[in-house]
Amino acid sequence: MEVTIKRIGLDGLHVSAAGRLDLDNAVEYGSKIKDFIEDSEEQITEVTLDFTEITFISSFGLKVILELYKQLKDQNGSIKLKNVPEQIKNSFKMVGFDKFLVFE
Amino acid sequence: MFKTVKSKILAIAVTILAFLMLASLCHVYFARMNTKQLMVQNYKFSITASPFIQDIKSRIVSTEDNLKSLSLIGSLYYKTDRSNDLTDRVITRIFENYPQTLGGGIWFKPYILDKSKKYVCFYAFRDKNNKIVIDRNFESEKYDYPNQEWYKQIISQVTPERNIVWSKPYYENQGSYTTMITAGTGIYVDGELVGIVTVDWELDSVIDEVSKMKPLEKTFSMYKKGNEIKNSFVLFGNVKDDYVIATNDPYLDNDAVSGHSLKEIPWYTNANHLYNTTYITYHNKKYIPFVNKLKNGMVVIICLPKSGMFRIVDKFYIILILAMLGIALLIPALLYYSLNHYIINPIDKLTEFAHKIGKGEDIQIKIEKPEEFAQLASTFDKMTKDIKSITQERAKLNSELSIAKSIQASSLPNVFPPFPERKEFDIYASMEPAKEVGGDFYDFFFIDETKFMFLIADVSGKGVPAALFMMTVKTLINNVSQMNYSPKQLIEIINNKICQTNKQGLFVTVLMGITDINTGETSIINCGHNLPLIKRHNGKYEYMQLQSNIALGVFEDSDFEIYETTLNPGDLIYTYTDGVTEAINDNNEVFGEERLCDCLNNINNTIPSEIAQNVKNSIKEYTNSNIQSDDITMLIYKYNGLSDNIKTFKQTAIQENYNKFYNWLHSTCKEWNINEELTNKLDMCAEEIFANVSFYAYPPKTGDIESILTLKEDCIIFEFKDEGLEYNPLEKPDPDIDLPPEKRPIGGLGIYMVKQMADSIFYKREKNQNILTMVFKI
Repeated sequence: MEVTIKRIGLDGLHVSAAGRLDLDNAVEYGSKIKDFIEDSEEQITEVTLDFTEITFISSFGLKVILELYKQLKDQNGSIKLKNVPEQIKNSFKMVGFDKFLVFE
Repeated sequence: MFKTVKSKILAIAVTILAFLMLASLCHVYFARMNTKQLMVQNYKFSITASPFIQDIKSRIVSTEDNLKSLSLIGSLYYKTDRSNDLTDRVITRIFENYPQTLGGGIWFKPYILDKSKKYVCFYAFRDKNNKIVIDRNFESEKYDYPNQEWYKQIISQVTPERNIVWSKPYYENQGSYTTMITAGTGIYVDGELVGIVTVDWELDSVIDEVSKMKPLEKTFSMYKKGNEIKNSFVLFGNVKDDYVIATNDPYLDNDAVSGHSLKEIPWYTNANHLYNTTYITYHNKKYIPFVNKLKNGMVVIICLPKSGMFRIVDKFYIILILAMLGIALLIPALLYYSLNHYIINPIDKLTEFAHKIGKGEDIQIKIEKPEEFAQLASTFDKMTKDIKSITQERAKLNSELSIAKSIQASSLPNVFPPFPERKEFDIYASMEPAKEVGGDFYDFFFIDETKFMFLIADVSGKGVPAALFMMTVKTLINNVSQMNYSPKQLIEIINNKICQTNKQGLFVTVLMGITDINTGETSIINCGHNLPLIKRHNGKYEYMQLQSNIALGVFEDSDFEIYETTLNPGDLIYTYTDGVTEAINDNNEVFGEERLCDCLNNINNTIPSEIAQNVKNSIKEYTNSNIQSDDITMLIYKYNGLSDNIKTFKQTAIQENYNKFYNWLHSTCKEWNINEELTNKLDMCAEEIFANVSFYAYPPKTGDIESILTLKEDCIIFEFKDEGLEYNPLEKPDPDIDLPPEKRPIGGLGIYMVKQMADSIFYKREKNQNILTMVFKI
């Protein structure tokens, strides 16, 4: 899965990817972002996940998002989801993630 | 008032006592009157016998004797011996014999002895030394005894019969200077009156005695010292000559009335009258007069004050009445105490116990006395224990009944869809039991590879017998059906067997269908049951016009009509028991067959389970709050026919095959024109199950995963099978999705999402396979 990660400003990150966040890809997606944050010299506190081209999210994808959220929260950072398709938003709602995730 | 036993008994007791008291008081009153009369008699006797009266009587007698002796001496003197000396001596001797006599003498008429001698008299008296002295001084011109009042009185009244004549009291101013009365009688010689003889009573001593006397002293044993009757008085007088001799009447001066007429005594009327008078009122006081008639008109009247007389009696009766009153008060008090102690307190105690026991306290009643209550208490105790054990038994029975109910319910097939792998038909059945164990049941099973049997039945009666009968019938039908008989043979055998085993006269109405799931050829047998409804594909529900046969278990060797029809894909049969059509609303009106038909036609859905739910809701709405009186049971069979809308995927369960798997899923969905939302749902569920099986089912080896997608008219059935470790994902508890993100575990979301998305989900372990079936509505 191709994941594009861009720096925005000093502490910002913009992540965009295309396709399914499922059994096959979710873990890869998550670890790429994690690695980027860890490798960065600067403290990353604001991550924007662009969902424009994400077609599907499974429980594996949700797990990865929750892990990311927790990691950033520990570093006093935050996570933002951008352009989430309605269907995927419903999946977030189903497991109660809409209560703490910020959608743009 | 008088609501309690206590007050009632007390009121009765007090009333009775009051009557008794009244009766007693009347009795006392009359007794007192009697006593008084008796006392009056007693007084009379006492007075008659009193020394005073006796003394006067004896004085009168001795005076008479004295006079007779003197008269004899006088006549002797006149006739023969005119010796003065002798006569003096004789008189002296006589007087010595009459110690009470003060004085007395012989008085001859003037000149009767001697023409020259006017006065001849002999007079003797007692001097102060009680010596008898003959006094000659009365034979004088100066005294001139024939002119004395007493002489004139006596001589004028004497008769030859020698009657005794009494003078009025007079004051003697010659020698003794005292008040006297004189008794006298004549001296007759040959019938000629020659003189008189007299005896004097010195009245002062009588008056003194009278004035001092207490008439009843020492006479009446009842009246001891201090009990004398005070204020009594005496009148001594002469009724014949009508004069008062003496009285100690406290309101009169004795000296003033002495010698006067009795009429001067205010209270005196006449002796005879007084004798019969019960009482006189004198100076506002009541006196009882006791008249003692003596000789020659002499009378002694003793007046006793009434109050004083009866004081002791009254005292006695007052004490008696007080004692009675005391008893009258004591009896209710005793009764009150006894009532409280022996009856009310035990009753209160029992009541208290009953309250406590009613509240569930486990206590034993203890009353030792009185015996009746002790017995009652022990009976009460026994009853409590009995009730306790009965209640426990009933509770046990109730729980056993509810167990029976659940056994009965669980004996019916209750997992739907029961044959998810069979796409040719759908079946759904439900039974909502009434409060009691009922007799409705349904059943369905394959007779062979293609023949499927479904039935709904209603056993007559309710309760445990009906339930047991139902179980027998259900088992019997199931067993007999496996034997490959024709429908007609089958129902005849079943009927005969039920008849043989049914000794209680129970019967069962059955609607039975035997259908070939490949061809749709169906035999329907109605044994006294409610007519089913049929809905042909794209048609409306209507009642099937079946020939009704006799219910099973009524007659052996009955004949049965079989209805033959062919079902086409999409056809639906709705069967029910009378609990549906006979559900009652608030106005006591039944739900009815017409309403059922309308209700079914208003359901724009052909999923059996949904139809059942819809009908149940309609019934609930109709009956409102009415208690369900009968089991509500229905069975819905829908024929789909053979279909090729089934896709299967079977591969080794490893992550590498996931890509293939979701490609298969997506292409199937595309082929079937499944919309994006449902595809997404299927995708998410599929991934979760696939991942679960590939990670956990066959560690450390690998195994196959089979997935079957079935497209139905209104739903998709998604089925997974694996031969891995037995695992029911539905048993996993749901995660708490309301937890804050920091506290949420990373895992556990997948199966939760599956449960959320599937419209229904089932798991079973069969032939070493985990079979998970999900149904998604289209």
